[in-house]
Amino acid sequence: MTEDLRTEEMIINMGPHHPSTHGVCRLVLTLDGEVVKKCVPVIGYLHRAIEKMCENRTYAQCIPLMDRFEYVTAMSTNWVFALAAEKLSDIEVPERAEHLRVIMGELNRIASHLLCIGVTGLDLGALTPFLYTFREREMILDLFEMTCGQRLTYNYMRVGGVSQDIPPEFIPKCREFLSIIDGKIDDYERILTENPIWIARNKGVGIIPEQMVYDYAISGPAARASGVNFDIRKDDTYSIYDRFEFDIPVFYGCDNYDRYRTRLGEMRQAARIIRQALDQLPEGPVRAKVPMNFKPHPGEVYARIENSRGEMGIHLISDGDKKPYRLRARGGSYNHLMAVPQIAPGLKIADLVAVFASLDIIMPEIDR
Amino acid sequence: MTKDELTGYIMQHFSGRLERIENDQPEPYFIVHCDDLTALARFIHDDPKLVMNFLMNLSAVDTKERFEMVYNVCSYPLKHRLYVKTVFDRDHPEVDTVMGVWPAANWYEREVWELFGIAVRNHPDLTRFLLPDDWNEGHPLRKDWVGKDVVPFPER
Repeated sequence: MTEDLRTEEMIINMGPHHPSTHGVCRLVLTLDGEVVKKCVPVIGYLHRAIEKMCENRTYAQCIPLMDRFEYVTAMSTNWVFALAAEKLSDIEVPERAEHLRVIMGELNRIASHLLCIGVTGLDLGALTPFLYTFREREMILDLFEMTCGQRLTYNYMRVGGVSQDIPPEFIPKCREFLSIIDGKIDDYERILTENPIWIARNKGVGIIPEQMVYDYAISGPAARASGVNFDIRKDDTYSIYDRFEFDIPVFYGCDNYDRYRTRLGEMRQAARIIRQALDQLPEGPVRAKVPMNFKPHPGEVYARIENSRGEMGIHLISDGDKKPYRLRARGGSYNHLMAVPQIAPGLKIADLVAVFASLDIIMPEIDR
Repeated sequence: MTKDELTGYIMQHFSGRLERIENDQPEPYFIVHCDDLTALARFIHDDPKLVMNFLMNLSAVDTKERFEMVYNVCSYPLKHRLYVKTVFDRDHPEVDTVMGVWPAANWYEREVWELFGIAVRNHPDLTRFLLPDDWNEGHPLRKDWVGKDVVPFPER
C-alpha cells in the first residue's frame, strides 16, 4: 500500500509567460506535490544590451535607454544616470532643478509602491486593492504627463538639471494629490492591514533573515523590513535630501507583511518630503548650461540613489569622450531575485508567488 | 571614518600590496593585485572597523590593454564605501571568485564570465545567463567584439 502512495518530485517551469512573474522570468521549480524543493531562476528574456548600446551613444542619447532599464521608476533611473555624469564634471545643478528632481523622484516612489501593493493583492487573488491603488497612481501619472508628456518612460532628467520646467497648473494638482494621499493610504490599511486573509497569506511567509540581507546585498524596503536600517537618502545623502525632514520606517518581521508595511510607511514619508520640497521650491533656471556634446572628465564613478526597489547605481567610466566608455547599471531586483532560491525551499507555489510580488521584482532591471 | 582615515587604515594593514589612486570621489580607490584579491576582500569584510559587508556592484572593464574588475563595496552598519579594482592580463583573463566573502557575487561573476569571457576560478555555476542558450558569437562587452548584424548608431 505505502509503495503505491510513493510521491515523486516533479520539475515544472513557472514562466516565462506567467502573470505573476512581473515581466518575463522563468523559475524552474522542483516540486514535491505543492511544496517547492528547489527553485532556479532563468533570466535573460528581456536582455536588450543596454550597457553595450550606451557605449555607442552620447550622454543625452543614453537617457531614453535608462528609462527602459527600469521603467516602473524611470524618473529614478534618469536621475542616477545624470548624477553619475555630473559627478564626473563640474556642473552645478540649479536649485530649482534639484527640488524638481526630488519631487519627481518621490512621486515616482509613491507610484511604484502603489503598483507593488496593488499587484501583490492581485497575485493573492484580491482584485480590489489593485483598483484602488491604480486610481491614485493615475493621478501621479497625470502629473508626469503634464510635466514631460510621458506616462511611463519620462526622459525628463538631463545632465545638469531637468528637461523643462513644470507647468503652472502642476503645483495645485500636486497639492491636491498630497491632500488626499494620506487618507487613501489609511484606506489601504483598512482594506489590507487588518484583513485576516491578507495576514494569513503574508505574515511569516518569505522570511529574509538579517544575515541574508548582508549576504545577498539586499537593499531598500526588503532590507528595512528585516531590521536593517539602511537608506541611501540618509546614509550616503545625494542631491538635497539632507535639507528635508523624514523618517525611515524599519520593521523587524522579515516577512511579506512587514515589507508591505514598510512600503506604506515610505509612501507617507515620500508625501512628507514632497510637501517640504513644494514649500521650498525656489524660482530660477531648471538646467545648467551644458554643451550639446557634453564631455565629462576622464574618470570612474559609482553613483547610487535610493530607488523604490532598493539601491540603484550606475558605474560609469569615461575616457573624456562624448560617449560613456563603460556603463554598468545596478538595480535592486537583481539581488532580490538572487536570494529567491534561498527563500523558496519549503514554500507552497502560491506562497512563492506572494514572495515574488512582495519583493517587488521587476525583470527589465535584472536583464537590462 | 572619513576618506583619509579609511585610506590610512587600509594602507596600514595591507601595505605594499595596494596601489592607491587619488581622485575627488567620496570613497577611497585602491588597485590590488589579483593574487591578493580574496585576502583583501576577506580583510575588509571581517575587520571590525571596516565591516564592508555590502557588495553594491561588481563589474568588469575592458581597457583594450588589460581587463579590470571593479568591486564597489559599502558597509551596512558603518556606511562607508570603498572602490577596489583588480587588473589582469588580457591574454589570461582569470580571477578568483569572491563568493566566499560576499555570496552576492554569484550572479555578478556569472555575468562577467559571460559578457567579458573572464574565467572566474572556483565559481560553482558558470552557465549561460543573460544571452540566449545557443549564443556562440563571443563576448559582447569586449571592446574588440564585432556583432554579425550590428548596425552602427548614426553620428550626429
